[in-house]
Amino acid sequence: MSFIYNSKVKILSKEKVAPNIYLMSLKAPEIAQDALPGQFIHIKCSKDNYPLLRRPLSIHRIDKEKGEIFILFQIIGEGTKLLANKTIEHDLDIMGPIGNGFNIYPESRKIMIVGGGIGVAPLLALCEESIRQGKEVGVLIGALKKELVIGEESFKILGAKVEVATDDGSYQYKGLVTDLLEKIIREGWLADQIFACGPKPMLKRISEIALQTNINYQVSLEERMACGIGACLGCVCKIKTKDKREYKVKYEYKRVCVDGPVFTGSEVIWDD
Amino acid sequence: MIDKPNLEVQIAEMKLKNPVITASGTFGYGEEFSPFIDLDKLGAMVLKGITLKPKMGNPPPRVIETPSGMLNSIGLQNVGVNRLIKEKLPYLKKFNTPVIINISGDTIEEYVELAERLGEVSKDMGVTGLEVNISCPNVKKGGMAWGTDAEATYKVINSIRKTTPLPLIVKLTPNVTDIKTIAQAAEEAGADALSLINTLVGMAIDIDSRQPKLANISGGLSGPAVKPVALWLVWQVFQTVNIPVIGIGGIIKVEDALEFIIAGARAIEIGTANFVNPRITIEIIEGIEKYLRENNIKDVNELVGSMKI
Repeated sequence: MSFIYNSKVKILSKEKVAPNIYLMSLKAPEIAQDALPGQFIHIKCSKDNYPLLRRPLSIHRIDKEKGEIFILFQIIGEGTKLLANKTIEHDLDIMGPIGNGFNIYPESRKIMIVGGGIGVAPLLALCEESIRQGKEVGVLIGALKKELVIGEESFKILGAKVEVATDDGSYQYKGLVTDLLEKIIREGWLADQIFACGPKPMLKRISEIALQTNINYQVSLEERMACGIGACLGCVCKIKTKDKREYKVKYEYKRVCVDGPVFTGSEVIWDD
Repeated sequence: MIDKPNLEVQIAEMKLKNPVITASGTFGYGEEFSPFIDLDKLGAMVLKGITLKPKMGNPPPRVIETPSGMLNSIGLQNVGVNRLIKEKLPYLKKFNTPVIINISGDTIEEYVELAERLGEVSKDMGVTGLEVNISCPNVKKGGMAWGTDAEATYKVINSIRKTTPLPLIVKLTPNVTDIKTIAQAAEEAGADALSLINTLVGMAIDIDSRQPKLANISGGLSGPAVKPVALWLVWQVFQTVNIPVIGIGGIIKVEDALEFIIAGARAIEIGTANFVNPRITIEIIEGIEKYLRENNIKDVNELVGSMKI
């Protein structure tokens, strides 16, 4: 586990990129220096006791040269509402970088990245790093409708091949992003690794696809979280235990914050 | 003005550098907080509650935020006493801070065996004291069942008392009709100190799905929301028993800690606030010292139970 900093940082920019969705950049040189794609920061959104707890948000982009990190988030409750109301030059109390991050295999040539809705948040940094390492990267973005498609241009600028699926067909492929993924695999674009973040049904479906096609699959999970540093055991998910001698599948509760948030798709128990 | 006020307090045989202790379940096994604070500066550490066998804990969601507080239902997930001794305690040996192990059991025999195991290794592994959890609201058996009945409290504490010379702190639940009778039972059974309160039982509902927000339906409420309740109970217990009282419940700033001390707490435990600000323990220690200096009080012990009525 990397060192977790707790510091007050400056908000450098804030931009509304879609309805209820904001992109924010922060001056955080230490965190930017250490951060890996897939890690997150834990943010105190209020000054007082309401909301009391911090909010975990994925690191969207890492700019090590400028010492900046970006977060991309959707307003879903009191904490994110307060965060969206902060203005440039405001101080923000953050902890990070936290978690394990994605594991890009050196031998992988083709990378498939799948993001559903705000699930694209941790994937841009991953895309940037994959391209820096010379991988061929395909990105699939899923959204309910055209206005909610996030990040298409950002991925394209990096040099990834981007395709979009909308549930209502208002933009590009009509249907689920998992159907689009299957179509692309059927057409012969086979990745060496698939990385995904988004709603659980989507992650579960990709797990099945990855199993059938025998592709390494890593997911970024989320769960209600309190401390964010592995102490409270609040944010757990069911992970299969390694004991192969047992006939029955056994599992244990692992912490999303420091054992994850990235897990291998095949070790996650999805049936909940 | 007092230059260097005394912050040292004594709980049974334990000398604490200051009255600030970490609350069980909110500080992991200590190491999780070492990036943020110097563990040597703490009064004492109470580690995550331990049971004889490892415990898997409850299904998620396990935590949910509520106004100025949170509900949790972890279900005592822990590595079990053997792994605690082998894997977690060695790291803490290098610190000069008392380590208090919070113990839980389904039966009296389990509590006794835990106390024996920890007593055997106390010198080698630096176990300074035990906090007996008879107040966990999130496990089916044992837990709070002990702490809501004076007779059961007496039995379990007395059995542990006969087993170990280690300092015994008994952690009380607020979910009772009269906490004073439970406190007295614990004192008569041989407790060296009482710590209170554990969490208050509560729940929350998602109105869209009409499902409980916690998988376990109910959970324990903690955080600033419970502080007035905790303070009142500490004051009552302080007036009832002759052993030291450790105040717990929603302490998030130095003023809260001082209120508990004035109400009768010899020491305080900080819980949920650790999740919000990992340096809060140190800030509160410094705050207490500043308060004593500014008010010309040379010893924190003078403040204990000094409420004027």
